[in-house]
Amino acid sequence: MSGAEIFIVRAVDSLKAKIPGKAIIACSGGVDSMVSAVLASRAIGDRLLAVYVDTGLMRKGETEEVRGMLREMGLNFRIVDASEVFFAMLKGVTDPEKKRKIIGELFIRVFEKEAKEFGAEYLVQGTIAPDWIESGDGMRDTIKSHHNVGGLPKEMGMTVVEPLWDLYKDEVREVARELGVKASERQPFPGPALSVRCLDEITRENIGIVREACFIVEDEIKKAAAQGKMELPWQYFAVLLPTRSVGVQGDRRAYGRTIAIRAVCSVDGMTATYSKIPLDVLDAMATRITNTMKDQVNRVVYDITNKPPSTIEWE
Amino acid sequence: MKVYVIDNGGQWTHREWRVLRNLKVDTEIIPNTAPFDRISDADAIVLSGGAPSVASDAARMGNNGEYLDKADFPILGICAGMQFLSEHFGGVLGPGAMPEFGKVELKVLCKEDLFRDLPSEFNVWASHNDEVKTVPEGFEVTAASQSCPVEAVRSLTRPIYGVQFHPEVENTENGPKIFQNFLDIVSEYR
Repeated sequence: MSGAEIFIVRAVDSLKAKIPGKAIIACSGGVDSMVSAVLASRAIGDRLLAVYVDTGLMRKGETEEVRGMLREMGLNFRIVDASEVFFAMLKGVTDPEKKRKIIGELFIRVFEKEAKEFGAEYLVQGTIAPDWIESGDGMRDTIKSHHNVGGLPKEMGMTVVEPLWDLYKDEVREVARELGVKASERQPFPGPALSVRCLDEITRENIGIVREACFIVEDEIKKAAAQGKMELPWQYFAVLLPTRSVGVQGDRRAYGRTIAIRAVCSVDGMTATYSKIPLDVLDAMATRITNTMKDQVNRVVYDITNKPPSTIEWE
Repeated sequence: MKVYVIDNGGQWTHREWRVLRNLKVDTEIIPNTAPFDRISDADAIVLSGGAPSVASDAARMGNNGEYLDKADFPILGICAGMQFLSEHFGGVLGPGAMPEFGKVELKVLCKEDLFRDLPSEFNVWASHNDEVKTVPEGFEVTAASQSCPVEAVRSLTRPIYGVQFHPEVENTENGPKIFQNFLDIVSEYR
């Protein structure tokens, strides 16, 4: 048996033992939570409910894509639209740690409500090693509070079960391929979603800007990779910066927003180098962003730092 | 073979555990507050890196000093682990003239022990503010870089080794080989 096969057998056994009753799983549709959901479903069947929260901070078309994946894996699932409350609670918040704490807390409130209705006492989460390492503890500095660890409120009415605790993303992907989980090749996407890619105030309008810019960056990079111009990076996206700068559009003065392009190569997310995107691909992204989003964006910059000293996401 | 990873709170402590596990060693992460008795059955230990500035915040390095004094097995100190053991045996630490975050070109000065069968120059990744300014008596420098003159040390009297860079991260070239070389030292020592 391969390492992934052995892991699956052990994880399913251990989940069976740990969850005598009903459980819900916090499922974003990413590879970590999809793998956890499939493992838990193998262990406890219909005593598992997968809950996907639409925070209003998701990428373009994401909720529908995740709905399709949950259906395809035959999971018992529910999609909860909580965008109103997320935007209300994040209004005026710009401190990245505060943002992450608020989001962690809101997620838990939604899960508690869903768990109560379903009669679940257990919360399964797809936490992996970098999540708890970077969240910090008595021994370690907090680099960023991952919503599923450092963002968790201290009092919570549920027992948390985390089958992927010691794994890194590359190992989770191997398990995903073994389980036939389609999300295996999806790029990592942080739990607080587009909120940590919006360094300006969190409003529907600003999230809309970064959502469209992320879509363009993803689309252009995927196209370039398919044409053999570059390798698909580990993670690639856009960030909306809280600055304005002067531009000129059709002989008229513009004073618009700035988008940063971020793309990195990594194996496990714990170290990363910035991707050397070919200049013509960068050019295509900058032109498409500034032309199609001309009312909002008039400048695009490229992030060329590694991790360390940077992190992959900006917050 | 049993090799414990002593957790000094590093971002990459768990990576050290993972590399050792991949090399088929019996390994476990132990907090640096554990008494020596907890680790006395080890064949070797690795002292991990960590956020504390060893020079000014040594209390956060827990019982590393006791382990160094009582161990009769090989020890590998990484980053803050190497800084701590250097200071413990009489060396001097200080802020690096040029802090290193990310890629560093390593120059190997002594191609034995940890650097056995490795090239004279290769890329490693580091992440540190402080560095070893003077190595303790009975120690020698085994690798250096342009920005940090003490990238690795070894004791001339005991099987104690230190690296300022991080052999456990993916971007460090020959990282697993450095760990394998350490394990070979451990096997030979047993």
